Amino acid sequence: MSRLEIYSPEGLRLDGRRWNELRRFESSINTHPHAADGSSYMEQGNNKIITLVKGPKEPRLKSQMDTSKALLNVSVNITKFSKFERSKSSHKNERRVLEIQTSLVRMFEKNVMLNIYPRTVIDIEIHVLEQDGGIMGSLINGITLALIDAGISMFDYISGISVGLYDTTPLLDTNSLEENAMSTVTLGVVGKSEKLSLLLVEDKIPLDRLENVLAIGIAGAHRVRDLMDEELRKHAQKRVSNASVR
Amino acid sequence: MSVSAIAPRRKRLADGLSVTQKVFVRSRNGGATKIVREHYLRSDIPCLSRSCTKCPQIVVPDAQNELPKFILSDSPLELSAPIGKHYVVLDTNVVLQAIDLLENPNCFFDVIVPQIVLDEVRNKSYPVYTRLRTLCRDSDDHKRFIVFHNEFSEHTFVERLPNETINDRNDRAIRKTCQWYSEHLKPYDINVVLVTNDRLNREAATKEVESNIITKSLVQYIELLPNADDIRDSIPQMDSFDKDLERDTFSDFTFPEYYSTARVMGGLKNGVLYQGNIQISEYNFLEGSVSLPRFSKPVLIVGQKNLNRAFNGDQVIVELLPQSEWKAPSSIVLDSEHFDVNDNPDIEAGDDDDNNESSSNTTVISDKQRRLLAKDAMIAQRSKKIQPTAKVVYIQRRSWRQYVGQLAPSSVDPQSSSTQNVFVILMDKCLPKVRIRTRRAAELLDKRIVISIDSWPTTHKYPLGHFVRDLGTIESAQAETEALLLEHDVEYRPFSKKVLECLPAEGHDWKAPTKLDDPEAVSKDPLLTKRKDLRDKLICSIDPPGCVDIDDALHAKKLPNGNWEVGVHIADVTHFVKPGTALDAEGAARGTSVYLVDKRIDMLPMLLGTDLCSLKPYVDRFAFSVIWELDDSANIVNVNFMKSVIRSREAFSYEQAQLRIDDKTQNDELTMGMRALLKLSVKLKQKRLEAGALNLASPEVKVHMDSETSDPNEVEIKKLLATNSLVEEFMLLANISVARKIYDAFPQTAMLRRHAAPPSTNFEILNEMLNTRKNMSISLESSKALADSLDRCVDPEDPYFNTLVRIMSTRCMMAAQYFYSGAYSYPDFRHYGLAVDIYTHFTSPIRRYCDVVAHRQLAGAIGYEPLSLTHRDKNKMDMICRNINRKHRNAQFAGRASIEYYVGQVMRNNESTETGYVIKVFNNGIVVLVPKFGVEGLIRLDNLTEDPNSAAFDEVEYKLTFVPTNSDKARDVYVFDKVEVQVRSVMDPITSKRKAELLLK
Repeated sequence: MSRLEIYSPEGLRLDGRRWNELRRFESSINTHPHAADGSSYMEQGNNKIITLVKGPKEPRLKSQMDTSKALLNVSVNITKFSKFERSKSSHKNERRVLEIQTSLVRMFEKNVMLNIYPRTVIDIEIHVLEQDGGIMGSLINGITLALIDAGISMFDYISGISVGLYDTTPLLDTNSLEENAMSTVTLGVVGKSEKLSLLLVEDKIPLDRLENVLAIGIAGAHRVRDLMDEELRKHAQKRVSNASVR
Repeated sequence: MSVSAIAPRRKRLADGLSVTQKVFVRSRNGGATKIVREHYLRSDIPCLSRSCTKCPQIVVPDAQNELPKFILSDSPLELSAPIGKHYVVLDTNVVLQAIDLLENPNCFFDVIVPQIVLDEVRNKSYPVYTRLRTLCRDSDDHKRFIVFHNEFSEHTFVERLPNETINDRNDRAIRKTCQWYSEHLKPYDINVVLVTNDRLNREAATKEVESNIITKSLVQYIELLPNADDIRDSIPQMDSFDKDLERDTFSDFTFPEYYSTARVMGGLKNGVLYQGNIQISEYNFLEGSVSLPRFSKPVLIVGQKNLNRAFNGDQVIVELLPQSEWKAPSSIVLDSEHFDVNDNPDIEAGDDDDNNESSSNTTVISDKQRRLLAKDAMIAQRSKKIQPTAKVVYIQRRSWRQYVGQLAPSSVDPQSSSTQNVFVILMDKCLPKVRIRTRRAAELLDKRIVISIDSWPTTHKYPLGHFVRDLGTIESAQAETEALLLEHDVEYRPFSKKVLECLPAEGHDWKAPTKLDDPEAVSKDPLLTKRKDLRDKLICSIDPPGCVDIDDALHAKKLPNGNWEVGVHIADVTHFVKPGTALDAEGAARGTSVYLVDKRIDMLPMLLGTDLCSLKPYVDRFAFSVIWELDDSANIVNVNFMKSVIRSREAFSYEQAQLRIDDKTQNDELTMGMRALLKLSVKLKQKRLEAGALNLASPEVKVHMDSETSDPNEVEIKKLLATNSLVEEFMLLANISVARKIYDAFPQTAMLRRHAAPPSTNFEILNEMLNTRKNMSISLESSKALADSLDRCVDPEDPYFNTLVRIMSTRCMMAAQYFYSGAYSYPDFRHYGLAVDIYTHFTSPIRRYCDVVAHRQLAGAIGYEPLSLTHRDKNKMDMICRNINRKHRNAQFAGRASIEYYVGQVMRNNESTETGYVIKVFNNGIVVLVPKFGVEGLIRLDNLTEDPNSAAFDEVEYKLTFVPTNSDKARDVYVFDKVEVQVRSVMDPITSKRKAELLLK
């Protein structure tokens, strides 16, 4: 049994946050301008993720081509050193990783306007350098930023966040210690709306608490969206000013 | 775990947060693992002082939208200058050593517990941590304890310096907290006192340049208090306290040192050391046994040195002794109170008469030899009377708690009013005397007192403890009752305010809604529509006379198709006790109601237990109903579960119900229903017995109280009526049906009860005794065989003999236990005593917590309301089960102890000669059971004969031969002999415990 005080009676979590506080969220885009068409690097707490978007480009095999829309590929590389203990295997063909890839593809297929890029393929490559809980949410944020950097049309921002439920208290943006101690839900929220593009529940969670959990999750996701938006605008401004000087 | 600090960088974030990284490096198997954790520092941690004007502006609400309460008083206790008005900051060592003192309602007000202290306490001792947390939670108005999260506050977080040990860093963090507080509270003229027993910490506090912290050791602080005299005795004795004193009284008596942790870990891995819980023999406090999984029988531990300071119930590591020291379990009786009576508590006596067998044994044995030894030991266990013995080399976990006892009069100097060392003899006779220091020895001489144990250094023959409080004069009913509750760890304090707040606001005026579809009632309780209205059924309850917490009620009705509709209705406690509330937590902690002769300690508050939940007659009550369709031979055709509203028509006592059924003139529907129930119950019982259910016996008696003086005046053996078994049969049926249903719905976490088959070794001695003495035997092949063989154990000349055998075999049985279904596989669910494959407790939710869980799970299974997560989680269910098993056992012991006490009081008034049975024969005495009073007592050889040396003990025949006093003919006493004994109650002069003393006629 875990003897950690996950949520103290005074309302503080293991790392000193309150129930509705996000972790440190820092992001930057266009980090690898020469390696890919769009790229982003983001840190959400101790999750550190590089995302590269290549495309839309011509598929290597003609057989993969779809005449009506673009093809989306996601590959997630969880590095061996990303957890505190160095893992022996590369996580390449692990079931869990494949599942993550599939759900990411399904989710972004609905949110990227694939129909305006027929006969092309868009490759998304993710490298997880360090992970500390709520990884799925961070992957979503990284992809959103990189896709925007690549100039690929989307309907809106997608922001990902995980929420845990400790007894009756929902805890926003869980880290790995919290994630191990309770059941968590991962959300992918479309822009500033209350539309969910992803709802991932891998543990048991009481149905009557779910609404509560979703409410705080959506609010958190909107905060994430604003933080990404801020970063984007800052980046855009820098580019504009660079362009005008030249 | 080694921890190294890598210079963390601090980063400022928006909204008053900054973040730093905590980096640990842990090495495991030589490799290094890096753990990085985020650590957020915040500026909104309030000081929680009522006088502070700044902090109320920075606080933020929590998830329930509640603001933190400011607790620390604005006019705290004032001491002489330079301290003045002050708050207290605690150090870890003070909490660990003196938690009792902190809980004392007469000292320690306005206390700040730094978070780092809380963390350290949690790592060192979880029970102390829980107590400290409870103290912080419940001390709002009176004691005023708060937790200050110094690690998360920007102002008080300290980074670890290079080459600084983690302890030094934590001490510095505590000092930093004190410093911040004293600066923060300066405008309000409140000081902060750091209480720590760590001398280095105190010195560092005075040395630090900018600091102006006042530090005191625990003793110094207590001395400053106005009521120091009352409290001084409760200061714990640690050997570090009076190191100098110890050196003066150096003695040659020492216990062997414990092995180092590394050696223990290695030994366990190699299979040369074993881990188990030690059990000290009831009859001989210098002999213990440890059940080890690898051995078929418990391994013996004999002698003070080999026991090596282990307490009854400690988790210990043992090492086998060489074969030359193996021995049979002693057939001698030895109490701690009569042993070394003359030891002087001031001097650590070296006159140890116990032979120094193990310490003289310095021969080194290799690991390989030890493993061979273990093999021999296992063989020895199977064949001979000689048992392998072992010695304790390490104590994994102490079972220390608060103990009740009284001062040993011989150790007290009543003239002296200065502090003196005295011995305390504990109520539990398996435990040694405890040495305490007290100034009030003379005053406490005839009191029952509570003490707490602090330490047991190797140089001390007896453990060191301190006085906690006194319960009252010995033999006063109140002190004795409280003592036995404490001794059995029964929570008897009144329910806290937080718990009572969970009760319905209407109190006794609460009423079940008259109509289940009444929109107003439904809006309050949307689940109401799912209830079924059973108010038209003719329901009645049958209970012991004077019962106020009526859990169950019954009804039966003939169906048109000739079958019977039988309903069991159980009080719907879970309607009022919702999971996750303080009320639920309290119920779960108490686990069960405890029934004493003159008192009942409720699991749930009176309002629920005796009124709102109790299925009283003539009023509407919520119930959880199980309704069967039974055919004429009581086979289940169909079963239904539902939450309902019922109205009991009558509350009968067993006698009344019996009279009503027997009364031929009454032929109303209710009576007809009761007759049908009786008829069906007889069939159910028949079927159960055929399946092999056991009919065991216990020497239970009932004490009658004089109605005016409430003095006990009569003892009666419990009688059973047919109506008793009527209720019992249907309760069993309900429990079984519910068990099946919840196991079906929650295969991993259903709350069940099992009763394991007894291992044949348990019956070995009894069987041997029966065989040699009566030429009978008990068969253990199955419960059916056991039941049949018990029926055959009849002595035509003595009708009680069969009951005696049943009583003795009950003691050989395993205890039934609660468990969650994921813990065992289905075949192990079996309830041996009842001979059913699955069983639970469902029918008494007012007085048992298991039933509450079963109710919730059943409600979940029938889709009434979703099941709380706590009852769907294996770990949490495991914790619940463990707790209720322990509480259930303690409650039973407490009940028995209470009866024992009152029986003693009854016997005090009337000395008599009774028939008794010899149930055990020892080398130096016999144990006799007197059925009339349900007491058993040891008759020592000294009391049997004037010439103990001429007595002979025959182990094979279970025979003790001696020359009785006043006679010159030798007399043989065998086990199972029927003897006449004189029974009277005497006060033991040394322990002042009242005991039944038996004298053979």
